[in-house]
Amino acid sequence: MDRQKRNLLLNGVGLILLGGVLFLFSRYGSDYHIRILNNMAIFITLAVSYNLINGICGILHLGPNAFVAIGAYTAALLTMSPMEKQLNFIIQPLIWPFSAVQAPFLLSLLAGGVMATVFAFLISFPVFRVRGDYLAIVTLGFGEVIRVLCNALQGVTNGPLGLKGLSPFTNLWWSWGVAVVTVLLITRLINSSYGLAMKAIRDDETAARAMGVDPFRHLLLAFLISAFFSGVAGGLLAHLITTISPSLFTFFLTFNLLIMIVVGGLGSTTGAVLGAMLFAWGGEALRIVESPMNLGLFTIPGIPGMRMVIFSVILMVVIIFVRRGIMGQKELSWGWIFDRNPR
Amino acid sequence: MGKKSVWALMAVMSLLFTSLAIPALAADTIKIGMYLPLTGAVAAYGSMAYEGIKIANEMEPEVLGKKIELVLVDTKSDKIEAANAMTRLLEKEKVVAVIGEAISGNSMAGNPISEAAKIPTVSPSATNPLVNQGKNYAFRACFIDPVQGEVAARFARNELKAQTAAVIIDIGQDYCVGLGNFFIKEFVKLGGKIVSTTYIQTGDQDFSAQLSAVQAAKPDIIYAPNYYTEDALMAKQARDLGIKQPILTGDGAQADPLLEIGGAAVEDMYFTGHFHKQAANTDRAKEYIKRFEEKNKKDADAFGALGADSYFLLVDAIKRAGTTDGTKVRDALAATKDFKGVSGTISMGENGNPIKSMVINKVEKGKFIYVTTINP
Repeated sequence: MDRQKRNLLLNGVGLILLGGVLFLFSRYGSDYHIRILNNMAIFITLAVSYNLINGICGILHLGPNAFVAIGAYTAALLTMSPMEKQLNFIIQPLIWPFSAVQAPFLLSLLAGGVMATVFAFLISFPVFRVRGDYLAIVTLGFGEVIRVLCNALQGVTNGPLGLKGLSPFTNLWWSWGVAVVTVLLITRLINSSYGLAMKAIRDDETAARAMGVDPFRHLLLAFLISAFFSGVAGGLLAHLITTISPSLFTFFLTFNLLIMIVVGGLGSTTGAVLGAMLFAWGGEALRIVESPMNLGLFTIPGIPGMRMVIFSVILMVVIIFVRRGIMGQKELSWGWIFDRNPR
Repeated sequence: MGKKSVWALMAVMSLLFTSLAIPALAADTIKIGMYLPLTGAVAAYGSMAYEGIKIANEMEPEVLGKKIELVLVDTKSDKIEAANAMTRLLEKEKVVAVIGEAISGNSMAGNPISEAAKIPTVSPSATNPLVNQGKNYAFRACFIDPVQGEVAARFARNELKAQTAAVIIDIGQDYCVGLGNFFIKEFVKLGGKIVSTTYIQTGDQDFSAQLSAVQAAKPDIIYAPNYYTEDALMAKQARDLGIKQPILTGDGAQADPLLEIGGAAVEDMYFTGHFHKQAANTDRAKEYIKRFEEKNKKDADAFGALGADSYFLLVDAIKRAGTTDGTKVRDALAATKDFKGVSGTISMGENGNPIKSMVINKVEKGKFIYVTTINP
């Protein structure tokens, strides 16, 4: 059996296994576990798509919160019923056509992704005129602009009051389905000639240009794809917590994503997945250190914020001992597991 | 993967696994959950509410002959975490009722979950009108933003005898937008005139554009329902520009930093609010204030009082229901009438929003003093 066939087969088996685990959780798991798994999948989608820009293309982009916000608001405005919208917009009515439209969930998610892509396209021209710290500042500014617009455009977003009463459409199948599609598509992209070009741009842009790679075209492609999946993940997030407001999409969201991909290993999709899983699960698992502990002889009172301290310690340990993150730039692949001389 | 990274990964994993392995305690208690922001952007509100709840728990530690066990979960002032926290309280801790969240956005993330599980919640200070809309199991101990805006308008028209008003709203905060808009509606309804409406953003330092508009419009009063930092800076700049009209604001501005930043400029600033210790007239309130000040060595504040009231309302409802069954406790909560709480006398109105009196405070000689009470 040649490698390609074997990998395809193993991928299939892996997906069926994942499906089985998800099925067991959706049947027998508690809401608490299901919620953590949903968070995990959404974070995976966000981290993997964010890693495409920051890790693979080597561009310090600090505005994914803007794309998540655009996706979330677009999807939310599409799935909400006109009735619910009327109840929500108590200060300024929602402007037409948003007040009348309603779409199914899948369509709304896609629309969220497309809307994020459109915005990404519009800002890509100013963004890619600069590099390095300047690009970071421009994208950071974009993230802030979108958040401020969400506050100010009360007729569209309901301003700081936020939207509530979204139907909880996001379940394990939606969130993990999107996560799997994202990982597969982005891995395919990274392993294609486009991905190689992107890595070449990351390692040495001048050399890549000399070899005939057009940096703008490749960065734009990565940027648009990343924005699309961020937007879709935003829609999923909105329908998981069933309420959104501008305060959800602050720079802290970007910051959390940055932590995930740096801990996982900048430039590694496996690392991004691991980072996202650790983040979603670790945050909840560490709650135990905040609750009072009875050790028989004496009780330790719970200290709120303790898990952030431990999280920071873990982060520092990772950065000191494995400077390039858990995975570095390596990927976990079937080849790496089975072949003696991995590609 | 390098050898080093394997070790680091294993260290992290084993740490997390051991943290999961410690079993929870089980005893014959009634568990009430709290999900509050104890870290993050609005940590101050959560901690103040928690201080109040602790005092309330000391005052009434038992219900139905069982000890009440409080289970506290932090929400990091974040929606995703708030939803996680609520699910954790319901699924893992099996609480019979929940107090929280302190702010509206996070309550809207938690409420749909408790609603589905038919577990009643009481929020101390989520004042956004959308929070309880369409919910059967969501209650609160505070009055909502529209009510506060309306009372401010009535106070401005009837007590301050204002004909015209200028409104300055922070559009980054749902609270400020709610108060400002409902003040405008009510003020106009009562025959007043709004001569200028200007907007600021949380974190702004310079208000000269807004204030020159106010100066040109020559209003009788300025209504600025914003938080203390912005209001203190704004008051300072207004007085520097020679704007002498009285400033009226909401409870969000009534915090000690206002006095520290504002100094002489915030003298005579008026506030609509939930609580002032001089206005406290119930036995429960007096007992609460005594205990609070003994323990915390500071004046009793509104957030603590509302936290305590959330607790008292729940305990009272469980007592009247005679059971911890969610639906019955919910019915008892909805039937709350003339309950003598810490922040005044509370009756539960429509949609789980209480009907209660409001206090008006002002700054005099660098201190918050009580002016009057406005009844619903």
